[in-house]
Amino acid sequence: MKKITDSCEDNVKLLKSILTSQDILVFAFETKDGAPCAAVYADGMTDKALLGEQIARPLSQTEAPKTPKDAAKLLQAPEIKEEDDPDKLADEVLAGNTALFIDGVCGALVAGMKKLSLRAIMEPPGAVAVKGPREGFIEDMKTNMSLVRNRLRTPKLQFKTLTAGRQSKTAIAVGYIEGIADDKVVSEIEKKIGSIDIDGIPDSSYVAKFLAERPYSLFKAAGTTEKPDVLAAKMLEGRVAVIVDGSPIALTLPYLLVEDFQGAQDYFVSPYRASVSRLLRFIGVFVSIFLPAFYVAAQLFKLQILPLSFLLTIAGSIQGIPLSPSLELFFLLLVLEILVEASVRMPKYVALALSVIGALVLGDTAVKAGLVSSSAIIIMALSGISAYTVPDLVGTMSILRIAFVVVAGSIGTYGVLLMTALVLYYMTTADAYGAPMLAPFSPLVRRDLKDSLLKTSMYGLRKRPKVFRTKNETRLNAEKEETHGQD
Amino acid sequence: MDRIKVRQICFYFIAMMPVAKLLVYPATLTYNSGNDLIASALISCIAEGAIVALVMLLAKKTGKSLFKLAEGTFGKIAAKIIYALFALFFFASSLLPMLEQKNFVLQVMYENVPSIISFAPFFFVCFFAASKGFKSIGRMADIALPIFVIGYAVLMLLALPETDFSALLPLRGVPLKDVLKGSLFSANWYTEAAFLLFFLGHFEYEKRASVKVLCSYATGSLAVLFFLAVFYGVFSSIAIRQNNAVAQISKYTASFTSLGRMDYLFIFAIALVMIFRLCVPVQMCVHCVCKTLGCKPLIPSAVINVLLLALTIFFNYSFLELQTLFTQKLWFIFALFAYLLPAAALILKRRERT
Amino acid sequence: MNKVWTRILLAAAAVLLLLFFSNDFGLIDIQETAIVIALGIDGAEEEEGYNVTAQIAVPASTGSSSAAGVAVKGASTVGEAISELNHETGWYPTLVHCKLILLGEKLADENVFNVLDYFLRNDAVEDSCLVAVCRGTAQETLQAQSPVNDISASAIAKVLSSEAQKTGIVSVTVLKNFAINYYGEGKSGFLPCISVKQEAQNQGGSNASPSFAQDAFAPSIKRNKWWHAKKRPLPIAAPASAQSGGESGAGGGEKSGGKDVFQASETMLFYEGKRAAVLNSEETLAYNLAATDTDYAYGSVAAEKDGEEIVYNLKMKISQKKIKLTFENGMPVITFRIRASANVIDTDAASSILDVAKTQIADETVLKAAEAKFREELSSVYGKAAISGCDVFGIKKKLYRFRFKEYADFKNSILEKADVRYDIRFTSLK
Repeated sequence: MKKITDSCEDNVKLLKSILTSQDILVFAFETKDGAPCAAVYADGMTDKALLGEQIARPLSQTEAPKTPKDAAKLLQAPEIKEEDDPDKLADEVLAGNTALFIDGVCGALVAGMKKLSLRAIMEPPGAVAVKGPREGFIEDMKTNMSLVRNRLRTPKLQFKTLTAGRQSKTAIAVGYIEGIADDKVVSEIEKKIGSIDIDGIPDSSYVAKFLAERPYSLFKAAGTTEKPDVLAAKMLEGRVAVIVDGSPIALTLPYLLVEDFQGAQDYFVSPYRASVSRLLRFIGVFVSIFLPAFYVAAQLFKLQILPLSFLLTIAGSIQGIPLSPSLELFFLLLVLEILVEASVRMPKYVALALSVIGALVLGDTAVKAGLVSSSAIIIMALSGISAYTVPDLVGTMSILRIAFVVVAGSIGTYGVLLMTALVLYYMTTADAYGAPMLAPFSPLVRRDLKDSLLKTSMYGLRKRPKVFRTKNETRLNAEKEETHGQD
Repeated sequence: MDRIKVRQICFYFIAMMPVAKLLVYPATLTYNSGNDLIASALISCIAEGAIVALVMLLAKKTGKSLFKLAEGTFGKIAAKIIYALFALFFFASSLLPMLEQKNFVLQVMYENVPSIISFAPFFFVCFFAASKGFKSIGRMADIALPIFVIGYAVLMLLALPETDFSALLPLRGVPLKDVLKGSLFSANWYTEAAFLLFFLGHFEYEKRASVKVLCSYATGSLAVLFFLAVFYGVFSSIAIRQNNAVAQISKYTASFTSLGRMDYLFIFAIALVMIFRLCVPVQMCVHCVCKTLGCKPLIPSAVINVLLLALTIFFNYSFLELQTLFTQKLWFIFALFAYLLPAAALILKRRERT
Repeated sequence: MNKVWTRILLAAAAVLLLLFFSNDFGLIDIQETAIVIALGIDGAEEEEGYNVTAQIAVPASTGSSSAAGVAVKGASTVGEAISELNHETGWYPTLVHCKLILLGEKLADENVFNVLDYFLRNDAVEDSCLVAVCRGTAQETLQAQSPVNDISASAIAKVLSSEAQKTGIVSVTVLKNFAINYYGEGKSGFLPCISVKQEAQNQGGSNASPSFAQDAFAPSIKRNKWWHAKKRPLPIAAPASAQSGGESGAGGGEKSGGKDVFQASETMLFYEGKRAAVLNSEETLAYNLAATDTDYAYGSVAAEKDGEEIVYNLKMKISQKKIKLTFENGMPVITFRIRASANVIDTDAASSILDVAKTQIADETVLKAAEAKFREELSSVYGKAAISGCDVFGIKKKLYRFRFKEYADFKNSILEKADVRYDIRFTSLK
């Protein structure tokens, strides 16, 4: 294998033989005493002004250095490192840095000159907050790390940068707070990321699948967030963060189902309001999954569940409907899913027209035409809307909802109960990274119940969640609380 | 996979133990003991409570499992034989509750008479549960507790306006031998001590664990006794007709409201807890088989559940005969495995010491 | 192992989908289901057997509902008749919403449990349904047309509502309680007796003030509660000579000649399932005040004031009621202990403004008259019960539960041998 020598020209040729693409450019210049220098960089990813200012100008005003260390002293760039391996040099150039060769100096220098076109930091559309910070992550890992570091200005905040993806060489940062996060979890995550063997990692969801202990599970394996304040809060509870370059969604592990019911805003409003909101979310999830199933089961298997007057109303409204109640609701749920998919992808200028079709044609007109009944439309609409009380679980709920309807339509009310039992058995035995998914409910962790479906006040959350097995359990100093109370 | 906590054992006794006794047990007890059913139930509860206390005493003295204790006393082969016998016992003891549950489901959750196949999916759930070990029992107990407490409380509140507690009088109106007979013929519903025996070695004995477990057992027993009292207070002379007590007891208050039978929601909640409870003896059976054969639980779980399904279909029209056989003829088998052997386990430890 | 689970799940999903699209177990086709809301059972005229009339709720696409009646004649058992309904209508009858079982008068002469035990055996029928006996045939009663266009079963259910029970006008019972009493120590029970009266022709069509004609045939009880003075009254029978027909319950003012109203102020007593006696409306009120959940009632008493007999209409509130069974010198003593408060609602003579202002306060003479009347009616009820052997007050039950030692000696004779005492006190506001 060819190595880096002290000949600038040979080194450039070597590097260009690895980086053959035409957007890899070479900027040639000389030192004061005429020694040739070359800077190899990727067009569009390098700050050329900085390159001229911090690299070319100093070198052109001095005599050629003899060693890489001497060269580094001359340059005015803050990020300089030496590199002898041509392949690693190539990786650095592809990452947006600049490889510098000086004739007579054996080895190369890598200068951090990255300048990518990034979008601005703004509020993430999926996590709108009425109260609280409005920053959101972007696609650049370093920016995201800086947003977190801005909130956790402690030397104990550690980021370990790893790389995954044979072709994409995506940078992945594992962040945790030393002394709070469980070291075993950190090392397990690092090990799993290190064992990823795939061509490319376009998004953090790929990493989530690799980190999952049950990759085929219907349920999420990692928590997700687009907000740095939420990520910082979760890290302070003892979780480990995984930030993937190119993805604005950060992962947190271990994952608990209850964290999807906890909104960021819950911590900025009164605990009573937060508790009501969480209960509403829980009711929303319950309604979304079970209401269609019970409606179908009651009509097909157990009329007695429905009060007589309501039963007669339903019986009247389904007269002439060609489909059975189960098929009718299955069809409506399918239409709902199609509408949701279409609304995500439709261009804005046709949104209004398609909304009219969805609301009037598929709703009102379908009832008048006798294709579906009005009660089924209401059930479907209520179920669909309720699902969005917990947006992170919408995907899972949609599938579960349809599964429950199928079970209710074929086996009845007992089928719904059996399915519930099966799902509960599955969830209660789904541990990942030492944390059970249904904690703090199963297993019961009394201390952690204070911030689960109901939320206690800030003064009640003195200790970190026990389920994460943090070394340092105290997050609120009790003495200061008493002093505060006396003021 | 087979670890369980003391707290979960307590929750099991409070929430899951009572549900097994809310279906056919009240009517059967009334048949034998009449209005003195509370006395019969109390005798059974006290007897089982005593065995629970003895097992907890053994747990306090040793952290070993029953298998290790038996192995240390009699040798490995004998320990496997003991486990095999208990596997058969758990298999047999799960059959009658399954048939009870099947009848409950077919009667309460369906209006047309469906095929038994409607109940068959239960065995798939049971197969899944049985492959998960004691951890799943403990975690389900954590979930079952709030569901049971709320469901039970609401059903009792709905039943109380219709309850005439004086129906339980006169005390000792029924001859003592009938009361004792009622208690004796209920042995198949009192197998919790045997489950606790197999939890030995799988939980960490913590401070005052015995007190906690016994208090939980007492709470669960009180729930059963109160239910029996309310049941008889609601139905008195027609109590022996009410085969699915938990589904009948609260309907009189709910029937005349504009919301209709809203008590069904809570009956379904209790039915959910019943599913968990029904899986427990099968889980125990699978555990014993795995220990005997030294295998993983998946295949034994599948085989046992298929066998149970076959037997459920076979005995589909013979519930009364099976119940008579189990309660009146084979009560001594239950007494042996659920009372005597757990009590005798205390001796195992002592023998090991010498 | 994952492959195994994947295959298991795929197989389960395939089976489920197959069931979903093609299954038939337990499936109810609601459009082919006849929702029976009431059942009327009569004895067959010619031969042994039963005529069963089912009132079926017919939903309309507009969401409202009406009812259709289907009758099956000459079935040997009620169960057979229900099965016949399927053949006759082509619909599958479901009894889970059956709220009323109406027995024809003829059945009361046999053991009513010849028919009622079908409902106890059948798990599909709830024993929380109302049970009543009717004058004439149940079929005619169910075919009666309510003046507010209610389905007749609904109209009867309103007459037998818990609201009506609380005012003592009707004695309401459900199948469960009737069965408990039948299978209990007393083997006795009671059922409200429904009669259908044709509403009187309209004379003026005023819809205004509620209700009641002062007539000898009408119950002498105001049926409106004072706190619901503006509420439409429940439908009851309007006597033939009654005036403008508020009492029929057609509060809307439009009067339709020929509509039927239901009256349930009589109570039929049963012993061993057979009719034992019938209580008239005042006896029914007295019985309810003494033995059931009735807390409020209205009643009229005549008392002398200044040498003149005046009829006072009283509102009574029961504060305490107890039926005690004790033994004195080895003989049973039954004591009816009732404490109530009463105030004057109206009189049939004009009173002074002072009397009107003090309407809450009833005179001692009025209270005594009320006590005497109540005692008289209650005594009449007990007399009828004792003669027929009907233990409507649950005395035998009390004997069994509270005096078990004496049960064997007195279980067959306690009603006749007991010394009955009435400790009834009415008080007024002071």
